[in-house]
Amino acid sequence: MTGSRISAGLLVRIAALAVVLVFVQIGVVSEVPVFGVNVDLSPLAVAFVGLLCGSTLGAVTGFAIGLLVDLTLVQTLGVTSFIFTLIGYWAGRLRELRDPQAAVTPLLVGAAASAASLVGYSLMEFLLGVDAPVSLELLRQIVLGIVLNTVIALPVWAIVRRSLEGGLPDDPRRRRRRAYTTGGLSPLSRRV
Amino acid sequence: MYDKTVRRRRAVLVLLVVLSLLLLTAYFGEAPNGRLHSVQRDFLTVVSPIQDGANKALKPVRDMFGWIDNTLHAKSQRDQLLKQVDKLHRELIANQAEKRTYRELEAMYNLDNQLGVNDYHPVTATVVGKSPNIWYATVVIDKGESAGVRVNDPVINGEGLVGKVAQVASDGAQVSLITDSTMGVSARLGTANATGIVQPKVGEPNDLLLQYLPANTVANPGDYVVTSGTVSSPDDSLYPPGILIGQVTSVNEESAYKSVNVRPAANLHDLDVVQVLTAAQGSLPANLSRLAASLPVGQSASAVTASGEQLASTGAGG
Repeated sequence: MTGSRISAGLLVRIAALAVVLVFVQIGVVSEVPVFGVNVDLSPLAVAFVGLLCGSTLGAVTGFAIGLLVDLTLVQTLGVTSFIFTLIGYWAGRLRELRDPQAAVTPLLVGAAASAASLVGYSLMEFLLGVDAPVSLELLRQIVLGIVLNTVIALPVWAIVRRSLEGGLPDDPRRRRRRAYTTGGLSPLSRRV
Repeated sequence: MYDKTVRRRRAVLVLLVVLSLLLLTAYFGEAPNGRLHSVQRDFLTVVSPIQDGANKALKPVRDMFGWIDNTLHAKSQRDQLLKQVDKLHRELIANQAEKRTYRELEAMYNLDNQLGVNDYHPVTATVVGKSPNIWYATVVIDKGESAGVRVNDPVINGEGLVGKVAQVASDGAQVSLITDSTMGVSARLGTANATGIVQPKVGEPNDLLLQYLPANTVANPGDYVVTSGTVSSPDDSLYPPGILIGQVTSVNEESAYKSVNVRPAANLHDLDVVQVLTAAQGSLPANLSRLAASLPVGQSASAVTASGEQLASTGAGG
C-alpha cells in the first residue's frame, strides 16, 4: 500500500471475505479430509490479500483472520494471529518489491504461505511445550498439507481477486506502465 | 514521504507482532477461567448459532464431498468389512457359550452394570466447528451449559469414544478429542482384561498408545480396547465402562511395562453428530465423579472402582 490510500470499501470487502472464508473453512473444508489431512484456506487468503493489497493491509488482515480463527475454534489466542501477520506482511512486501506477474505466482505464494503456516504452527507448538518429536507421520501431514493447499491455490486466488476487484489499490506494474505512456518515453530510451 | 510510509509500515508490523505475542503469553499463562478464556467463551456463545446455521446451510456441500470420498473408499471398506464379519462370526459362536456362563454367574452374584451409558443423560449435539490444524485435536459442538453440558463430560458417537468436554459456553462447547495431547483415558484391553492409560501417540497425532500394561499381558493385533470405568487422576473424566476406544494395531515390549498401539474406533476426521454424557446432579455418575475428584492423586483409580461398587450396592439396595 505504499503511497496509495486504503478505501473503506476495500476494508469492508476484506472483512466480508475473511468471515465467509473462515466459516466455510470450519463448516465444510475442515470436515472433508483428503488423504487424512485438511485443506486450510486461511493462510492462502491472507497471502493473497497481501499480494493484492500490500504489506500493511496484508499484515492487518493476517492478524484479524488469525484472531477470528483462534476465537472461533477455541485455540490458544495469538498463535494463528502471529503466524498470519507475518505471512500477510511477507506477501505484501513481495508485491511491493518484486511485483511478480507470472501466472504461477499465486501457486508459489500459496505453497510458501501454507508451508510457513504449517511449519510455523509446529514450531510454536514445540515452543509452547507440546511433547511431540518430529515423526514421519507429522512430516507426511505437513508435506501433504502443503501439496493440497498448492493445488487449490489458483481457485482461491481467483476468488480473492474477484472479491476485492474494484477496490484494489493501483497495481505497481500498471502504475509504472502508465507513467511511461503518459509521462513520455521509457527511462531506457530517454535522451540524456 | 517515503520514510514516513516505511516507518508506518514497520510500526504496524511491530505493533501486530507484539500484540500477538502479548495475547499468546497472557492466554497461555492464565487459568482456564481467566479473562481471555472467558472472552473466548463469550465469543463462542455469540458465534455458535451462526456456526450452527452455516453448518446446516453448508451440509449439502459437505455431504457431496463426503459422498465422493465414501464412493472412493467403498471397495476397500467392503473387503475389510467382509473380513471383519467373518472374524466376528467366529467370535460370536465362541462367545455364546461364554455369555451363557457369564449370565449365570452374574445372576448368582447379583451384579449388574452399575454405570452404563443410560445412567448418564446423553445429550445429542452437532459438530459445528473443527480445526484444520493437525495440532489442535478439538471440535466445537452446538450444545452447552443450557443443555446440561459441563466440563469433563465424556463425548461418544456410534463408533466409540470421541473425547471429553474441555470448555463450555452457554450454547456451545469445545471437545478435546481422544487424540488431543492433553487426553488420558483409563482403559481395559478386552481379551487380557488388563488396564492401562490410553494417550495420543507422541508424534503421531492420529494414533493412540495404551500404556502401563503389566509386562505379562497377552495382547494381539485386532484386540479391542475399551474404557475401564475408572479414573487415573482427580481431574479426569469418569467414562462409563465398556465404551469402545479402538483396536490394537501392534504391541511394544521394549520397557518394563507393556504398551500397545491403538487405532481409534471413532472416525475423528468425520464427526457429524456426537453424544455428550452429562451427569445430572445427585446421580450415580455425578457422585462417582465428585468422589474421584476428592481423592488424593495416585489413589483415584483403585479407590473409585471400589467406591463405585459400594455406591452401586447402596443404590441397588435402596
